[in-house]
Amino acid sequence: MKRTAAGQSFIICATSSLIFIVATLYASGPGAAKSANAQNSALTTFTRDIAPIVFRSCAPCHHPGEAGPFSLVTYGDAKSHARQIADVTRKRLMPPWLPSADGLLFAEDVHLSEQDIAQFQKWLDDGLREGDLADLPPVPKFSSTWQLGQPDLVLHAAAPYTIPASGSDVYWNFIFRSPLHSSRFIKAIEIHPGDKRLVHHANLLVDRTQSARRQEESPGSGFASMELQIESESFDPDGHFLFWKPGSPPIVEPPGLALRLDPENDLVLNTHLQPSGKPESVQPTIGIYFTNEPATRFPVLLQIENDRALNIPAGDSNFIVSDAFTLPENVQLLALYPHAHYLCRDMLATARLPDGTEKTLIHIPRWDLNWQAVFRLAQSEPLPRGTTIVMRYRYDNSSDNIANPNNPPQRVTAGNRAVDEMAHLWLQVLPDPQPGQQRDPRMVLQESLARHHIENNPTDFEAHYNLAAMLQARGASDEAVLHYQSALELRPGDAVVENALGAALLSSGKIPGAIKHLSVATAVRPDYFDAHYNLGIALATAEEFARAAQEFAAAAKLKPEDSGAEANLGAAFAELGQNEQAIAHFRRALQLDPKNQLARENLDALQKAP
Amino acid sequence: MFQPRQSRTEQTHRSALSVTLSVLIVVCAIVAHARPRFPQKSMAENLHGKPLDPFAVSANRVVVLLFVRTDCPISNRYAPLLQKLSEEFRGRAVFWLVYPDRAETASQIKTHLQDYHYSIAALRDTDHALVRRAQATTTPEAAVFDSSGLLLYHGRIDNWYEDFGRSRPAATTHELTDAIASAIAGKPIHPDHANAVGCYISDLK
Repeated sequence: MKRTAAGQSFIICATSSLIFIVATLYASGPGAAKSANAQNSALTTFTRDIAPIVFRSCAPCHHPGEAGPFSLVTYGDAKSHARQIADVTRKRLMPPWLPSADGLLFAEDVHLSEQDIAQFQKWLDDGLREGDLADLPPVPKFSSTWQLGQPDLVLHAAAPYTIPASGSDVYWNFIFRSPLHSSRFIKAIEIHPGDKRLVHHANLLVDRTQSARRQEESPGSGFASMELQIESESFDPDGHFLFWKPGSPPIVEPPGLALRLDPENDLVLNTHLQPSGKPESVQPTIGIYFTNEPATRFPVLLQIENDRALNIPAGDSNFIVSDAFTLPENVQLLALYPHAHYLCRDMLATARLPDGTEKTLIHIPRWDLNWQAVFRLAQSEPLPRGTTIVMRYRYDNSSDNIANPNNPPQRVTAGNRAVDEMAHLWLQVLPDPQPGQQRDPRMVLQESLARHHIENNPTDFEAHYNLAAMLQARGASDEAVLHYQSALELRPGDAVVENALGAALLSSGKIPGAIKHLSVATAVRPDYFDAHYNLGIALATAEEFARAAQEFAAAAKLKPEDSGAEANLGAAFAELGQNEQAIAHFRRALQLDPKNQLARENLDALQKAP
Repeated sequence: MFQPRQSRTEQTHRSALSVTLSVLIVVCAIVAHARPRFPQKSMAENLHGKPLDPFAVSANRVVVLLFVRTDCPISNRYAPLLQKLSEEFRGRAVFWLVYPDRAETASQIKTHLQDYHYSIAALRDTDHALVRRAQATTTPEAAVFDSSGLLLYHGRIDNWYEDFGRSRPAATTHELTDAIASAIAGKPIHPDHANAVGCYISDLK
């Protein structure tokens, strides 16, 4: 019996140290008292040596109501977990901090120094003394409500989600409907994910087109999915990370930076939940803080990735995926968000500067998805145009990787499920444009990145779609059409692409093609307002006014508050000579929006007509 | 006069050493008998505060002790599995939940049983008599005894957890289930110990 042997040697050890102490007292004689005193002051105590570390590095998560499974705010708390603390700090499992010291300095760096770790061990060895109460630093105070004060707007998830008692981790998405009537700028968002012991992390995304709602079984029900894909039909990079992890304070954007929230926008909270052993209910809340200062500086999120290279044979413990992207603009690096799933072991991101120097941005030698985070730089890092960002991730698909979701290991490729992999590195950068520069530097960055993604992976649907959208936005409709067509080949019949391609063809004057693709979009998704509206325009351009009127009527029915659909419907009736109906719709359009130019001019013309 | 004093000192010293040696031998003898060959008393307390020896009331059946804590997250995550095992082996092995934290009151434990849907009988092991008998060091940890009260297996439930915060998506070895099945079948259990991951019982004072 192994345990017996260990127990035996422990007891012998204790006995021989007893002999040693007796012998020391014998030998030291009158000097003994003095020497014991000197030893006392060197003994580690809670109040003097341990509390400063615990209050700073443990208590922010380990206090009542927070994510830590037990509190570490008093002597008793620390004492009753002393061996565990010494163990997890020595193994650097706690506090959870993934980056090693060879990268940039991050704002929330919680890693402990070697001295701190040694103190916990010494405290244990010295007998877990409390020490002099006069030495105790001030006990930290934690807010149990909103850390930034009462928010301007509080949104609750429509329905709670019940985590089963056992089973694998759950990824659940909650949709918050924005009640705004006009656009506002957001300075900070405080995420209250619900019971923090259950939520590993949460990521909030702005959904400008309510695209995530289609994944809900019923409105407000939420939906399962590890990765979130938010559609955007226009070039509108949000440029902000809205990330929550245990213990992290809400971020207040620096001056000039703010996130725009429009009416009808949704906020989608992607949560990583862990079963606790009993059924648990989670219903997140978010607090929004507005600012009256509109954003003047616009950061952008750049996603460097090479998912296509992910094709990891079963058993391969050293599979490398890399990518390199050269910045076409001067930028300030603000934050990094490396992302992969369970097979990734080591992540390295470096910057090769134009002068040839190389700098480690972030190195995560022991990746653990459970502690993924957005790493904000303590100080922004300038990266001049021509800097190459290099990512190099190592994956272990052997059974030695205990996080391997497959047992026995299986070949793994890229995908959104927990059993799939990813190789992503997100960078939040603030463009530093050259004086006199014409084009939006964000657009230059994103266009260059989309082209890079297509080079890496000609079957990258998002890259084709995004590039096309950007080209369309800057008037390069012909090239936009090519990339929309590539996207459509990758996802035939996708209503969003059919609509976008139709709109691009429409604006390059290719009407029959536009009608064809827009008709597919409306057939695939009969409740697609934009597609009906665009089809109406295309049909009207082709002078098919009766069919155009039908499409505008369908659009107006889907969005009764849209004055454009009403005005166009009126125009189609006017073209058909049905003036009474035309006038009624123009009036309705003007009721909805008194400034609607089309309705005003047409109504005036009709009323002046004999 | 000087000479005899020195010799007396030496005499005293030698006898002190011999006392220490004899203590050492006694300790070793106890350790060698860590596997009790005859019934021994292992008093714990039920949730009504009454002394209870689980071995006395589970006579002639395999006994499974499950060391847990109300505030230990790893131990809590095992609750559905432990409950399921107790149902699977019902009638063939007697399961006991053992709460070794003296600070956890009977009413806290009752709430914990309800919250985690446990129907396994619970004991407060305030004197750590069961901890010692099962050689338990951690929560969660299991110990399996044969019908004569002989310790056959103690340690982890399975290999779900590798370390704090580092777990497999699902366990790939099932030490406790195997140990109970072997104990019921009267087969030997190898290995008879595997380190458990969780909260240290020695941190409880």
